Amino acid sequence: MKLSRAQAIAMFGSALILPQCGKNNALRIGSKNFSENITVAEIYAAGLEQRAFKIDRHMNLGSTQIAMAAIMRGDIQIYPEYTGTALIDVLHLPPMRDPKAVFAVVRREFQKRFGLTVLKPSPGNDSQGLAVTEAVAKKYNVRTLSQCAQAAPQLRLAAVPEFVARADALPGLQKFYGGFKFKAVRTFDIGLQYEALVRGDADVATAFTTDAQIVAKHLVVLEDDRRFWPPYNIVAIVRPEVVDIQKGAVVITIDRVTSMLTDTALRRLNYEVDISKRDPADVASEFVY
Amino acid sequence: MTYLFSHWRLIGVLTLQHLGLVCAALAIALAIALPLGIFAARVPRASALLLGLLGALYAVPSLALLAVFVRYFGLGAAPVIVVLAIYAQFILVRNIAAALRAVPRAQLDAARGIGMSSRQQFWRVELPLASPVMIGGLRLATVALIAIATLGGYVGAGGLGNEIFFGLQRRYLEQTLAGSIPAALLAIAADAAFRALERAATRRTAG
Amino acid sequence: MVARYPRADRNAVDGVSFAIPAGSFSVLLGPSGCGKSTLLRTVNRLVAPASGAVTVGGQDVASIEPTALRRATGYVIQAVGLFAHMTVAQNIAVVPELLHWDRGRIAGRTDELLELVGLDPERYRSRFPRELSGGEQQRVGVARAIAAEPQVLLMDEPFGAVDAIARRSLQDEMLRIVRILQTTVLFVTHDVEEALRLADRIAVMRDGKLVQYATPEEMLRAPASPYIAQLFAVNADVRRYESLRNALAAAP
Repeated sequence: MKLSRAQAIAMFGSALILPQCGKNNALRIGSKNFSENITVAEIYAAGLEQRAFKIDRHMNLGSTQIAMAAIMRGDIQIYPEYTGTALIDVLHLPPMRDPKAVFAVVRREFQKRFGLTVLKPSPGNDSQGLAVTEAVAKKYNVRTLSQCAQAAPQLRLAAVPEFVARADALPGLQKFYGGFKFKAVRTFDIGLQYEALVRGDADVATAFTTDAQIVAKHLVVLEDDRRFWPPYNIVAIVRPEVVDIQKGAVVITIDRVTSMLTDTALRRLNYEVDISKRDPADVASEFVY
Repeated sequence: MTYLFSHWRLIGVLTLQHLGLVCAALAIALAIALPLGIFAARVPRASALLLGLLGALYAVPSLALLAVFVRYFGLGAAPVIVVLAIYAQFILVRNIAAALRAVPRAQLDAARGIGMSSRQQFWRVELPLASPVMIGGLRLATVALIAIATLGGYVGAGGLGNEIFFGLQRRYLEQTLAGSIPAALLAIAADAAFRALERAATRRTAG
Repeated sequence: MVARYPRADRNAVDGVSFAIPAGSFSVLLGPSGCGKSTLLRTVNRLVAPASGAVTVGGQDVASIEPTALRRATGYVIQAVGLFAHMTVAQNIAVVPELLHWDRGRIAGRTDELLELVGLDPERYRSRFPRELSGGEQQRVGVARAIAAEPQVLLMDEPFGAVDAIARRSLQDEMLRIVRILQTTVLFVTHDVEEALRLADRIAVMRDGKLVQYATPEEMLRAPASPYIAQLFAVNADVRRYESLRNALAAAP
């Protein structure tokens, strides 16, 4: 199909038109610009579309600051955030470890400071972590960070560079859990640490706990049994006017899909988008139906 | 390349949006940079300060700057155009000032001496003689803005940044290329067009 | 009349006062930095006198709007300053256009001027300044200056940058043109030879002061100071040497 000149001009012009003019009565859903966040936002959208809501999408917002600025203005009304990010990067409060406490603080402070409502957190947690292959898990009997701390002298770590130095990474782990004196530590670019694990060049790799590579490479994420890392459960941030729509229908819908977002589900969703290169909207509607 | 072929309509729309962002930003940037450049050329002492300030703005991380303007203008094209226009100032003002300073003194002295008013001196002599260097600055600014306009992807303004950033994020080379190749072609085309203009202007004004 | 540049520690032109007869060719002569160019530039208000006044035809130039004054005053500089983006014809037409002459009159005048300065209009009209030799450029510079028939023509070392042979022919042309135009010329140079060739009257300047204003004959016969006597004596030797050499060169 060819574009007519009028269409071309209209498209050219559309770049200059602000998003909020145009579609009215549609719910404006936004997301940050990485697969998991986009996919979760699409899941909200799919769930709401199932209930016959019209959706206006503003995916791919470049940073937490931009997403927050947009929701404060009402350019978007709903977007998925992480409890840890909300606590540390938005509220600038010190890290806390208890997921319930973090959620409580975030919910209270968002209401108080921004007038925004924070909906229920997902069971899944996209935090930092350490991953091993199933073989290593069996051989050294490591399933938790406590076990890994003790077994470390026999293990080689493949880490992203900042993991070695940051206080919320290896040095913190060593202080908090004790041990964690690895036999060797090698650094890799983000993403390549998993390859090292699979090739057998390392036994333990730094990981994001919902990373698609966990599924793709059949890795085991070690349980943070004493909760060293702050929780990063997914919560929908919504504007006040959204809460009361149709006696809370929007909130009920989002709560329902959020309750389905476990670690395993998030890894699977990320796998579909990142590894299978599928469109997040397609993956989301499949997930909801 | 299957991605590009299956998404060519989307890429077409994004390319036009990209061009729209750059053109709007350039028009605004030029309207601001011209008086600033003239001022910088006339008042050398203030020009160091002005260029220092614009250089500092140029160094502000784009995402932070974008977030600031989203707060005022909301999502969409407006904050991107403002950020692009700000970034363009550094290149444009410096070049406009340099272009004006490079105009031969003799021709300015003659213009004044034969009775042109200061306005006539500027429009009839100074600006035409400065135009090749100015067009050179415009060329640099345009190419830079085509690259920076990928920021549009961050605030829902569209443009090729959408494909580039999402492709990069999920290591999907085809998607990244589907965004980068049209952007590169735009940049090459703009560069060639301005080079031709620059050559024509140089041919007319070489002493 | 006194003129001083901003932030200068002395006056560039200091207590100069003299009257130039209309239609005469006066040369301001002196070493560089003596104030002769500054004095010249007070006439078309490129420099404003700190005190005193310049009058042309009885009218104080300070009372004339600067652009109007300059359009009515020819101005030729050493660096020529032809506008690089305009053709020869467009350069010559600048002042008539500023004065809103009609097109036909401008075109006719342009050709007439090109012929007057010894350039074939057909060949030169549409050329750009960069396509001309230094001597040709200055001929166009002169044509541009006299395009609107100025009462006064100011020339600031106009032939300083061209080679000796071209300078000689330009000087001859200049005398011919001025005889035709009957314009009052004020001509700045530091070249005594040139002054003697061109001038009806010479004003010798030194350190911002006028030393003598007289005809060349008077100046040679009755120099007002030892400085002037020396200036011309040294030059007389040079002239004698040059004419001897020319005679030798011309011999079979």
